Amino acid sequence: MPAQTVKNPPLSSATLHILLALAGGNLHGYGIIKEVARNSDGHYRLGPGTLYDNLKKLIDSGLVADVPTTSSTRKAALAKEDDRRFFTLTREGKDVLAREVDRLQGVVTKARARLQEARTGRA
Amino acid sequence: MNGAVSRLAYRLILRLHPATFRHEFASEMLWIFDQEQQPGAAAHLFFDGTVSLLRQRFRSQNGHGQLSIASGVMITGPGIGPLRFFQAALALSLLWFGLMFLKLPNPLNASVRWADRMPCYTVTLQAPSHAEVVLQSAP
Repeated sequence: MPAQTVKNPPLSSATLHILLALAGGNLHGYGIIKEVARNSDGHYRLGPGTLYDNLKKLIDSGLVADVPTTSSTRKAALAKEDDRRFFTLTREGKDVLAREVDRLQGVVTKARARLQEARTGRA
Repeated sequence: MNGAVSRLAYRLILRLHPATFRHEFASEMLWIFDQEQQPGAAAHLFFDGTVSLLRQRFRSQNGHGQLSIASGVMITGPGIGPLRFFQAALALSLLWFGLMFLKLPNPLNASVRWADRMPCYTVTLQAPSHAEVVLQSAP
């Protein structure tokens, strides 16, 4: 069994939520926090300390990268906001996220089958 | 606590972070603090900031191998609760920085464990007498 790192699923909740938020497009830190809250219907509140600790690990692992200043996305964002750091999901980050989603899909499938068995057995 | 005082307190928490982390992320964290205006946000941000301070300080002093801190802050999780944890974390921080300020040798072996996939955290303070204080939330 591979050691658990940010590259090996299962991912921690914070890591999964950050990668999911960035899958929708490049975001700055506050944008990630808002996106995570929206994706979880407000149940998961990510604080800035937790966010940047995880982002640092994800950047070090090559799953997330800073958006270069020349990026058109960033230029458009800069028109509205100050010079904030924007982050993007790398190809490797997308692969890790896809693997985690597949793993979670497998868990849900098994859970549904077990529940179905339990209901059938009870009836 | 009014806005200016709470902002100053949050800046102090950021100022106590290790220099490398502070230079890279403190201005972004302060900006997020300024943006967050929803009710109850200040308590959440102070709790998160204090945990972040402990996490970064322990990590910078102990390295990754001796510290298992990951995942997010689930302030609504069961256990000792965010307020009690915040008080404990604040007391630990004051003790830690008090010792550093007085340039006294640190007599405590402190460790923080943060579970990866459940709202569970453990703070352990171990004195030379092997008396151990453990604050642990229920998963």
